[in-house]
Amino acid sequence: MTSPSPRQLDGRGRFVRPLLAAFKLTKTYGTVHAVRGVDFALAENSYVTLLGPSGCGKTSILRMIGGFESVSSGAVSLDGKRLDETAANLRPINTVFQNYALFPHLSVLENVAFGLSYRDVAKTQIKLLAMNALKTVQMEAMADRRPRQLSGGQQQRVALARAIVNEPRLLLLDEPLSALDRRMRKDMQIELKDLQRRLGMTFLHVTHDQEEAFALSDQIIVMRDGLIEQQGAPEAIYAQPETAYVADFIGGAACIPAEVKAREGANVVLETAFGSFAVPGVSTLHAGGKAVLCVRPEQVCVAQAETEGKAQLKARVVHQVYRGSDWLLDCTCGDQVVQVLHREAPPSVGEDITLAFDTAKVWAAAVEARAVTPPEAGAV
Amino acid sequence: MRRSILSVGDWLALPVVAALIALCCAPLLILLAYSFFQVDFVTISYDLTLANYAKIAGSETYRGLIARAFGSAFLVVTLTAVIGYPVAWFVAKRVHAAKSTLLTLLLVPLYSGDLIRIFAWRVLLGAEGAINRSLMWLGVIDEPFSGLLFSPLATHIALTYNYLPFMVIGLWLAFESLDDRWLEAAADLGAPAPARFLRVILPLTVPGLVAGGLMVFVMVAGDYLTPQLLGGASGITIISAINDLFGTAFDWPLGSAIAWTMLSILMVCFGLGALAIRRSSLVAEDV
Repeated sequence: MTSPSPRQLDGRGRFVRPLLAAFKLTKTYGTVHAVRGVDFALAENSYVTLLGPSGCGKTSILRMIGGFESVSSGAVSLDGKRLDETAANLRPINTVFQNYALFPHLSVLENVAFGLSYRDVAKTQIKLLAMNALKTVQMEAMADRRPRQLSGGQQQRVALARAIVNEPRLLLLDEPLSALDRRMRKDMQIELKDLQRRLGMTFLHVTHDQEEAFALSDQIIVMRDGLIEQQGAPEAIYAQPETAYVADFIGGAACIPAEVKAREGANVVLETAFGSFAVPGVSTLHAGGKAVLCVRPEQVCVAQAETEGKAQLKARVVHQVYRGSDWLLDCTCGDQVVQVLHREAPPSVGEDITLAFDTAKVWAAAVEARAVTPPEAGAV
Repeated sequence: MRRSILSVGDWLALPVVAALIALCCAPLLILLAYSFFQVDFVTISYDLTLANYAKIAGSETYRGLIARAFGSAFLVVTLTAVIGYPVAWFVAKRVHAAKSTLLTLLLVPLYSGDLIRIFAWRVLLGAEGAINRSLMWLGVIDEPFSGLLFSPLATHIALTYNYLPFMVIGLWLAFESLDDRWLEAAADLGAPAPARFLRVILPLTVPGLVAGGLMVFVMVAGDYLTPQLLGGASGITIISAINDLFGTAFDWPLGSAIAWTMLSILMVCFGLGALAIRRSSLVAEDV
């Protein structure tokens, strides 16, 4: 069977075959539908993250691509060739495992050289290549140590070197930074991004941390309950969330229930419990349907004496969190909680205030993902 | 202010240490002392001599018996390792809910006595035994096969059966701590199945193999009942020789010397085993 591969446009408007293409990819464990038929494509030389809470199926997708789990139905292809029929050890893909999975009985150098003995590399070259890979991650001084003698961050680097030394077509990273402390995580994020640029390799990175996804990615695939909720560039995902879930999961937007009254060009007129607003929104919204008005903490402010041209909400401060450079206020408008980012000394808890936002800046999203694909019958 | 040399904890441990010395080390040291004495007709002369050790070294019988004891032990270690390896893998990696049941079943035979298990093999292997009868009923053989019982074969079958659980337990522990992600990583790096076994599974289970192997080795080398009851003419072992020397022959010094020769060889084996575990390891020296 030939695999249907989604096509992409390159910079000059030509169609190019993507590096990796998943088509109706499904994973079922007994009666649990972990991945429910997802389609996506990864371009050459890109950094892509699969983002979602635990249990959303992102790790299952990674493990199917790596070859550690069988594909229940659907297909995944690399360079146009079916991948799901190839054994894990024959795939030109390498993985950085969540807890690194370094071989404890081998030295750092032997760990990195492990994969080279199964590739077409001269024996005399193996040590040289492994040392070079260790240099890339600044670990050449530790070549003779055992993994156990290294810190978490150092093990992480060795795991990276062990994977990239094989020059895979695609590098999979399974929550690679989750075991590191915050400071180390920030440093490694910069290094990972830098490494991907230098190597020109495609990285597919699984994470539940939206901040991490934004720091690293060219493309983000947001997952929920085994389905893709939205995929695209980080800027698009942040500025134009398609669903209430994405708006809330990324950037913690307040999602105010609304009814679509009319469509006016790019804008939609929303009728909410707090009034009627004309705001930009997802193109699929149509008059008479339901929607949510997404208001992010930084898009709303406490109204001063005069706030001309801005929409206003009556609210009460119920909670405040000091975050150093600013305060995050929880305010209630009726039974709706709206978070507000406030830079100066904030109003005190219990105070009644007026919130204001610019209707051109907020966004109308769908309540649920468009057409929810039901799990295919008899998929197992 | 003077501080006591011994802390309270040391004082509390003292009875245990004393008991160990009195019950374990002292008898061995007495044996060691005896091994340098000699029998003078019916009395023991206390002049120190190496004559007993010279006698062992010069006697083909004793050397042969010692070599056979360790040869048997090595053979049984090999057999239990080959049989126990897949069993341990299966229990550790393929069984989930029934794991403790299986492990208990594995140990149940040990709850019955040595003698009972040995006699069970007599029932199976004898001329009128279950195996011969089945083979005759199937028409494979016309008359009972008498070579089964009272032979080295019978001895080694029973020894392998008896000590298999110890090997399985050692290996099972090693497999339990073998993380499946190491195998995934090896596959991810391009290693085909045979290489995953040789370069990851085997080296990482060596500590279990050595630990189980040492237990089996020591117990088989010191086993006395099984060859005696199942070996027939081949049932004379170095242990039964020691027994005779302490009993009817009344040559305690020579018996002690043989016992200490055996003990020394076993201690060397233990030293090598410990070294193998350290080298294979995991327990790398700290930074």
